[in-house]
Amino acid sequence: MSFEIQINNRTAWVNLIGQEGNILKIEVDGKVYEVDLLHTSDGSFSIIEDGKSYNIELVPGNQPKKYTAHTLYDTYDITVIDAEARYLINRKSNGTESSQKNIISPMPGKVVKVLVNEGDIIKAGETAIIISAMKMESEYKAAVNGLVKKVNVSEGDAVQSDQILIELE
Amino acid sequence: MNHIKKILIANRGEIAIRIMRTCRELNIKTVAVFSDADRTSQHVRYADEAWYIGKSPSSESYLNIDKIIEVAKRSGADAIHPGYGFLSENARFAFRCMHEGIIFIGPSPKVIRQMGDKIEARKLMSAAGIPVVPGTSRPVSTQEEALKAIRDIGLPVMIKAAAGGGGKGMRLIFKEEDILEALRASRSEARAAFNDDSVYIEKYIVSPHHIEFQILADQCGNTVHLFERECSIQRRHQKMIEETPSPLMTPELRAEMGRVAVQAAKAVKYTGAGTIEFLVDKDLNYYFLEMNTRLQVEHPITERVTGIDLVKQQIKIAEGQKLEFAQEDLHQTGHAIECRIYAEDPDNNFMPSPGKIHKISEPLGFGVRTDGYVFEGYDIPIHYDPLISKLIVWGNTRDETISRMRRALYEYKITGVKTSINFVERIMNNENFIRGKYDTHFIEENQEQLSNKKDPENCEDMVIIAAYINYLDKLNRAEENRKAFAPAQSRWKKMPYINHF
Repeated sequence: MSFEIQINNRTAWVNLIGQEGNILKIEVDGKVYEVDLLHTSDGSFSIIEDGKSYNIELVPGNQPKKYTAHTLYDTYDITVIDAEARYLINRKSNGTESSQKNIISPMPGKVVKVLVNEGDIIKAGETAIIISAMKMESEYKAAVNGLVKKVNVSEGDAVQSDQILIELE
Repeated sequence: MNHIKKILIANRGEIAIRIMRTCRELNIKTVAVFSDADRTSQHVRYADEAWYIGKSPSSESYLNIDKIIEVAKRSGADAIHPGYGFLSENARFAFRCMHEGIIFIGPSPKVIRQMGDKIEARKLMSAAGIPVVPGTSRPVSTQEEALKAIRDIGLPVMIKAAAGGGGKGMRLIFKEEDILEALRASRSEARAAFNDDSVYIEKYIVSPHHIEFQILADQCGNTVHLFERECSIQRRHQKMIEETPSPLMTPELRAEMGRVAVQAAKAVKYTGAGTIEFLVDKDLNYYFLEMNTRLQVEHPITERVTGIDLVKQQIKIAEGQKLEFAQEDLHQTGHAIECRIYAEDPDNNFMPSPGKIHKISEPLGFGVRTDGYVFEGYDIPIHYDPLISKLIVWGNTRDETISRMRRALYEYKITGVKTSINFVERIMNNENFIRGKYDTHFIEENQEQLSNKKDPENCEDMVIIAAYINYLDKLNRAEENRKAFAPAQSRWKKMPYINHF
């Protein structure tokens, strides 16, 4: 079964050609590799290719089919693009991209202060909300000029990562 | 003499476990305290007893004096060890312990108060003949006072909060016209952080080294120092790497600064473990900066080169025992470096990165020690310090220690949260660090090399293969239905399969 895998900004086409136990023949973007691959169900991989030993760990992201891959020195963002994912991508690219306007928490934390009210006009670069995490306070600013449509959180609330805090239009 | 039988550790994280380890060796029972967020933390599981003390924010748990005293009494603890941070330098807490007949493992409330007020500390040290950074001896509140101070001391200067710490309220001034705004900002920040807006002005030492001396003092008047720790590798005024001996130090300077540190501790009748921090300029002039009246985060490097367990000494001193060694019995053997491993993203301005630990494998082998507390499946809470662990490495020479640290960092793997492991590894490969040529501006000045995250492995295709196989495997497994039972709601990591290759 072949499908595409997005790794950082590259999209690679992968296909399993043959298998003999843990010896796999796999094609990546036209290049054929013969690898000795063993892995655990929770994402630890040991791959030996041409005598070289690689340790890779896949950590599931907060959406299905999304992972962070850790190698010795680097991390990669991975998305598996199967038929369903392909459909969703196509549908999304036709709709409006509202997510860039909204202010979204990049990590879990606690709301220290909300500086805007619903109905306010906010200019790009103005601070809308202050979030604290691990003793450090961060200011979140509006990316574009806009009207504050909805404030979803109030002072003292705990927030998750990728939560929409303030909606702008 | 009081024989301590049970200690309440008024702290969490790695330091709580560090203290309990020594208690266990001394056959002393341990009492952990925990907040909502720490129910599954390692210190709760390590201790003999664990008591709930309140909600996750530290103001409602680890800083709640009444509650902690109540637990100490209910559990029958005869002493409290405050660790570092939280209540460790809170004179009111130390006083309350004394009042309630509980031994506070630390100095007297009076010394904590004196050294906690940075202006007072400067005055006391000056009077004891210890060189202090030139600056004002009283709080500065008006522009006129500030201008006069600047003209007396000479630019550049630093405005600092009297109640200060952690870089809060600090402002660097190069030009006279910046004084008004800096003074206002500094006072406002100090008021917000410490509820006290007194600030003072100090000469700014250009390219300084931050070097501190470890002190031990018993209740019979014996005071020794356990040599220096070089703590100049900092980001946002917070230490990242420490080493001992300092590459800057000469035997003569070490002897002199050690003698001065002991003199400083004696001047305030200090007892217990404490640290005298100095700034040292490139001409090896040294100035008293402040005294920390508690155990330091970086204490293990001193333990490693002197062979002395500082927590054990703290407990013995608190019991009223005499120090078992004199200054001439103490020696530094070899070299030790500590790297602090934080849950943060060095490639994104050191932003904290709380979250669940997916996997962790800690380094082992000759000369390696880790003081940590996280485990697989542990969710690092958002409420506290982002320190995951301290990696302490020892070698015969500085070069051997650096090589060993690189090896240990190679072994250290944490996934699920971002960490500073790769960043400190780049420091271990930095030419200036290897040559021992660095001061407190090291991270800014070496930014280019330190932000180079080129992957020498170049194994993108192997990562793609791993992701591909993982997905195929998941598709296969989805075919069979394995829902044997649904476990109760739990914060424990679920392990539905035995992991084996």
